[in-house]
Amino acid sequence: MKRSTPTPMVEFSHVRRCFGQTTAVDDLSLAIQRGEVFAFLGPNGAGKTTTIKMMVGLLHPSQGAIQVGGWDVVRHPRQAAQQIGYVPDEPFLYDKLTGREFLEFVARIRGMSAEETQQRIARQAEVFELTDFLDRLTETYSHGMKQRVVFASVLLHDPPLLVADEPMVGLDPKSVRLVKDLMRAHAAQGKTVFISTHTLALAEEIADRIGIIHRGRLIFVGSLAQMHQEGLMQDKNLEEFFLQLTDGQGRTPKLDASETFSAAGEEAAASSVVPPSADLPTSKEG
Amino acid sequence: MATSWAIRKQAEPSADALSLASLSAEARALWRLRYQRFRWALRIVLAESRLRLALIAVLSLVLWGVIFWLCLDGFHFLRAAVAHTPTHDQIVHHVFGMYLLALMLMLTISSGILLYGMLFRGPDIAFLLTLPVSTERVFLHKFQEAVWLSSWAFVLLSSPMFVAYGLAAQSPWYYYAVLVPFLAAFSYIPAAVGAMACLVVVRWFPGARMLFLAGVIVVLLAGGAWVVRGLSSTSPGDLLTPNWFQSILHRLRFSQHRMLPSWWVSMGILEASQPKQPAPWTTRPPWAESLLFLGLTISNALFFRQVAGAAGGRWYRSAYSRLHTQQHVSRPGFLPRLGWVAPIRLLRQLPPQLAAAADRFLLRLPIGSSATRLLVVKDFRLFRRDPVQWSQFLVFFGLVLFYFLHMRPFSYDIHHATWVNMVSFLNLSVVGLLLSTFTTRFVFPTISLEGRRFWLLGLLPLRREQILWSKFIYAFGGSILPCSLLVLLSDWKLGISPLIMGIHQLTAVLLALGLSGISVGLGAKMPNFRETSPARIAAGFGGTLCLVLSALYIVLVVALTALPSHFWLAFQTGQAAWSPGPFGLWEQSIRFWMLLGIGCSVLLGLAAAVIPMRMGFRAFHQMEF
Ligand SMILES: Nc1ncnc2c1ncn2[C@@H]1O[C@H](COP(=O)(O)OP(=O)(O)O)[C@@H](O)[C@H]1O
Ligand SMILES: [Mg+2]
Repeated sequence: MKRSTPTPMVEFSHVRRCFGQTTAVDDLSLAIQRGEVFAFLGPNGAGKTTTIKMMVGLLHPSQGAIQVGGWDVVRHPRQAAQQIGYVPDEPFLYDKLTGREFLEFVARIRGMSAEETQQRIARQAEVFELTDFLDRLTETYSHGMKQRVVFASVLLHDPPLLVADEPMVGLDPKSVRLVKDLMRAHAAQGKTVFISTHTLALAEEIADRIGIIHRGRLIFVGSLAQMHQEGLMQDKNLEEFFLQLTDGQGRTPKLDASETFSAAGEEAAASSVVPPSADLPTSKEG
Repeated sequence: MATSWAIRKQAEPSADALSLASLSAEARALWRLRYQRFRWALRIVLAESRLRLALIAVLSLVLWGVIFWLCLDGFHFLRAAVAHTPTHDQIVHHVFGMYLLALMLMLTISSGILLYGMLFRGPDIAFLLTLPVSTERVFLHKFQEAVWLSSWAFVLLSSPMFVAYGLAAQSPWYYYAVLVPFLAAFSYIPAAVGAMACLVVVRWFPGARMLFLAGVIVVLLAGGAWVVRGLSSTSPGDLLTPNWFQSILHRLRFSQHRMLPSWWVSMGILEASQPKQPAPWTTRPPWAESLLFLGLTISNALFFRQVAGAAGGRWYRSAYSRLHTQQHVSRPGFLPRLGWVAPIRLLRQLPPQLAAAADRFLLRLPIGSSATRLLVVKDFRLFRRDPVQWSQFLVFFGLVLFYFLHMRPFSYDIHHATWVNMVSFLNLSVVGLLLSTFTTRFVFPTISLEGRRFWLLGLLPLRREQILWSKFIYAFGGSILPCSLLVLLSDWKLGISPLIMGIHQLTAVLLALGLSGISVGLGAKMPNFRETSPARIAAGFGGTLCLVLSALYIVLVVALTALPSHFWLAFQTGQAAWSPGPFGLWEQSIRFWMLLGIGCSVLLGLAAAVIPMRMGFRAFHQMEF
């Protein structure tokens, strides 16, 4: 069943997705290796969510193909899904279920035995500090509690590929730290992390490689160092480059920029790392 | 379960994480999920709302009892009226066949619509489809729920009829035993057909799904109208004669087609109801005949379920993807493209101007305080700006209007004054029911929604009573005009006498008053601050209760005014004999009864307006936002 290791964890080949007349993702070709943290960076409406929904099998590509762990996501959705732990942009929990019952359901669906289920739930409960509320109905949880249960459910089966669509939105500082550490740890085990974000600070901080998507087109792939090397930014930093990108296209650039900035600011404040862009003027006054 | 766990027990967690669950383990996990969710929901209902549960149970029991009693009476009457046994059996067979056929069509549509919502719009679908579950299993999981949801109410409503028939026909015990498997298997077939239709439409014509549904409904309505017209065009003179029966049965023979599952079920149930000796056309005893039909129905149900499951496994994912990658079409469809045509441009400018004029008019009305009027105008604006919602209402309204306008062709040969009178009161209750859906859907939720915004309204110089009064005025004002006009149209078309017309108008006012009171009062008494969508608030318990109470109120008010006028008319036209009947009716007392009925309905109307409003005021006053 398992393919040999050299195959990339995720491989997009010439993927395109249209919504009627709109092309949300255009001719995307991209390979992501095992053990890599990949940040998919782009402003709102760039096509990040669409790309991720295709990767996890919710939407089919209009053209091209996607393989996850060697499995085609359209033809073998079950096998591909078994490789993935997916945190959607709007995570879902059943209201009338306790956190533990929810985790047990996910474990069963993923084919775990009863003992294994209990062991792994105990482990995740410890990591995400869920023990206090795990036996309460999820409808009584706060947003942060819900997020933590969702992360626990996604990591329950140690997925070779962790996919998260803008996961930091709405998380408290402590959870942001936790999730960042988790992603690094996940990659350190030789597993892959694919995370989408519209804030550069996060990408700079945790990613091995960054892909920048803009209006459905992948306009850059490489490491931070490569971006410097290629002189993409010369003496500007990445944040400015990103701003320029969103500016140059004439579509209410100020609004885009302010969204990017305020969110980046929050996230930066949440993490203990001072972003390199701290000296840039923020749009808070606007 | 145990063996597969035992085999995998020793394996290392991280290495083994990739093996998929077996198909049966998957099914068990989903069933368990359903069971756990159901248990929690039940536990919460039992803990928090015993009273509501009891109320629903009592209402259902009363409903069941009423239907049972009506059916029992009907079957006894039929037995007495048609002494000839084969004719009697034939009639019952046609009744069951028609009933089950109609049921089958309704189940097909309702399960198709339900499944559309559950498979493509359900909140948990995106979650389930990203788990390593086979597509067919997700589909079947939702299919099972749709079968259950769409059929339990129908089965519950049919059970009193079948039980009543069993009693009337003195059926053996196994008649009752086969009822359940027959109805259960029967509901699978239309559900599977509806499921496949839903799948095919979304997979290949995702943009035309509403058009398709509208087409199906129009075809069915046309078919229904055709049948009703065929039935009602027999002359009423030979009502209940053998000839009349034969011509009716002849018209209904399409319900006896041998390929219809409804025919199998009606055959099987009727066979089981027979006494022990075989029917003339077969040597098999009736119970064996019945079992044969049961086998036929069950095997077809299994076959259809299998086909639907396979279709789901094959097309569900791509259908989901298709639907969710459609371009969002701007609402008014073809209108923008025709924008250059001057009259159409005018037409599009007219409504805003009319609306603004209506607002100005409302603000000047000498009703309530100016703050109350402002609130009324605000509600009216919110209603206007929600075309998705009022368009549904408009469709109903249009259907009733269409029916009233075309009433003559259906009933020109029914010229008895009493008959016409009955139809007119029936129309009155139809208008009332239409209104009750309006008040439940558009008035009842607004109080909860207002509660959510109360911190904002609390800042305005408003008393809480004013909010409720404004809702009441909004509800009454919004319902009295269409109600009164529709009733007037119906009366005019039927050529009703001025006296009865006046009574109808009075009843319309009473209906609008009572329905407004019920919806506003209940809305304040049973608010729901958790939901943000008015549709979901209306669909909740409070909304359902509001609808049920409204329906009861309509039936009572209409019956109170209709019955006395009916007898009065009957005596006026000299159709009924002047004999003191069981209630000792004579001319003087008829006047008295009529006045009494109208007086009672006025009292009832006032009570329905005042009592819920008072309850609402009290609750609204004590409410913590
Ligand atoms: N269901 C849809 N129908 C039509 N257009 C859509 C739909 N979903 C997304 N789009 C469009 O596709 C583009 C990419 O959207 P998305 O992938 O959600 O962006 P991101 O996640 O990067 O913010 C946007 O222009 C958006 O308007
Ligand atoms: Mg997104």
